Amino acid sequence: MISDRLKKIICDELYLDPSTIEINNQTEAPEVPGWDSLNHANIIVAIEKDYGVRFKGLEILKCNNVGALQNLVNSKVSD
Amino acid sequence: MFGIDLNKIPDLFLFSPDDPLLFGSSLFLFLFFALLIFYRIFANNTNARNLVLITFSLYFYYMAGGLFVLLLILNAILNFYFGKWMGGTSDDGKKRNFLLLALLFNLGLLVYFKYSNFFIQLVNDISVGQLDLLDIILPLGISFYTFKSLSYILDIYLEAMNPTERFRDYFLFVVFFPNILAGPIDRAVKFLPQINKSYSLSRKEMAMGLMLIMMGLIKKIMIADYISLNFVDRVFDSPIRFTGVENLLAVYGYALQLYCDFSGYSDIAIGISLLLGFKLMENFNYPFKAKSISDFWRRWHISLSSWLLDYVFRPLQLSLRNWRKAGNITALVITFVLVGFWHGASWAFLIWGLLHGIYMAIGLLVQGPKRKFYNKYNLTNSKILGAVQIFITFNLVAFSFIFFRASSFEVALEVINQILFFFKPAVFIQFVEGFTPTFILLVLGFLFHFLPSSLNDKVTDVFSKMNIFVQAIIFTLVIWLVTQVLSADLQPFIYFQF
Repeated sequence: MISDRLKKIICDELYLDPSTIEINNQTEAPEVPGWDSLNHANIIVAIEKDYGVRFKGLEILKCNNVGALQNLVNSKVSD
Repeated sequence: MFGIDLNKIPDLFLFSPDDPLLFGSSLFLFLFFALLIFYRIFANNTNARNLVLITFSLYFYYMAGGLFVLLLILNAILNFYFGKWMGGTSDDGKKRNFLLLALLFNLGLLVYFKYSNFFIQLVNDISVGQLDLLDIILPLGISFYTFKSLSYILDIYLEAMNPTERFRDYFLFVVFFPNILAGPIDRAVKFLPQINKSYSLSRKEMAMGLMLIMMGLIKKIMIADYISLNFVDRVFDSPIRFTGVENLLAVYGYALQLYCDFSGYSDIAIGISLLLGFKLMENFNYPFKAKSISDFWRRWHISLSSWLLDYVFRPLQLSLRNWRKAGNITALVITFVLVGFWHGASWAFLIWGLLHGIYMAIGLLVQGPKRKFYNKYNLTNSKILGAVQIFITFNLVAFSFIFFRASSFEVALEVINQILFFFKPAVFIQFVEGFTPTFILLVLGFLFHFLPSSLNDKVTDVFSKMNIFVQAIIFTLVIWLVTQVLSADLQPFIYFQF
């Protein structure tokens, strides 16, 4: 499950209305309008800022969908 | 006996540097169809089928690149074990060490063969020392198979795939002859699962394979080789002997030539793979229809641009992410300079790559204001805006190719100088009269490029429904037609030098 908080961060960064966008565990970046390789770093920075965490580069590179990203966030927050 | 000269048979098995075996040669086509027959006989026996394919691939590489086939075999053996060791340990530190070892081996060889003399020359030029240049021959396809192998190593490291258990499968992935010389730089994660699937070829796939081979031959021999020998080469040999309008047409012509040469090669590679039951990744998607430079790079040499995106740009961008926009721009410029450098160790390729890095950086900087402007005037879906964007993008790309093609920086400046200060538009009529076939091919080449891509699907569909004998006749006719235009010697594919 993708939390509303994570979804909101992503949508805010991409100027999207969260109510019109479907994001689930299997969603991959290119399926979300505007989430391209250039914006990717901005979204990651926004997530780190909002949750007050810091990811390792390799941890993010290993995420292949939003579900994996959510798990990564959860693992950092619960630490 | 039967008019066969038995003395010539050993030539079929011996590498000759002056006459390497290449796609498009009639010998290759003959051998390939002989291979297909064997391949079909063993269709239901995966082991025998793959053995046939590996044997033919090694033979093909030996005939094209000589004894460097041993280096290729070494590459396959070592990378298989690097992958196995990396997958076999859960210790992150060990994994990292194996990765470094693999990078050192792969990039070390690439740098030695491709860049030694560039750096020696650099040392000499800045007078730090005086070294003799090395007598190095570049192993054919090394830039392509090194990157193919590295995708396997890096994907295992990034946990995007598990190493394969079977050495045979990995070996076939590395030596697979259709893409060994000039790509597409296929990914192991996509290729390996296809090896042990049963071999069946639908009529549609067969038609697509044959169509791709025909289109590839037409693009390469009828368009690229013709306009290069008859027009583009002449202008780039001495730009000052031609007016600006001819120089401009030569620049546009070179863009079309490079596209037809390289995408023609890719089409043949993808087509013959398809006939062997393998789907390779797409390498070109109507690149001149791009509406921006970033769009162009999603359509041009896709297998290289996506490789660099995944394994160079992304890690760089993430490690620089706190610099925000500056980090993105730094990562872009570094990646594109590497794109240039991948093509070869020369300042021309570096400038070409840097130029694209700068284009991309400017594109990123104006992204926000552009979006606001388009929204304000409601231009986002305007057709006219689309056409203007395509025109501008094409010209930026064509401009960058001047440096790619010119034999030196001075020649590139001459071309630009002629276009800017000696344009003489009236000479256009003389050009059309003097170079009529070239002009027709230029117009047709661009016209076909800009037709809707659905037309291509429709033609393939019609072709796939034809009787197999009619297909064979059409295929033979195309080959015959191509040989009629074939200029003296088959020109080597441009991307073989990289």
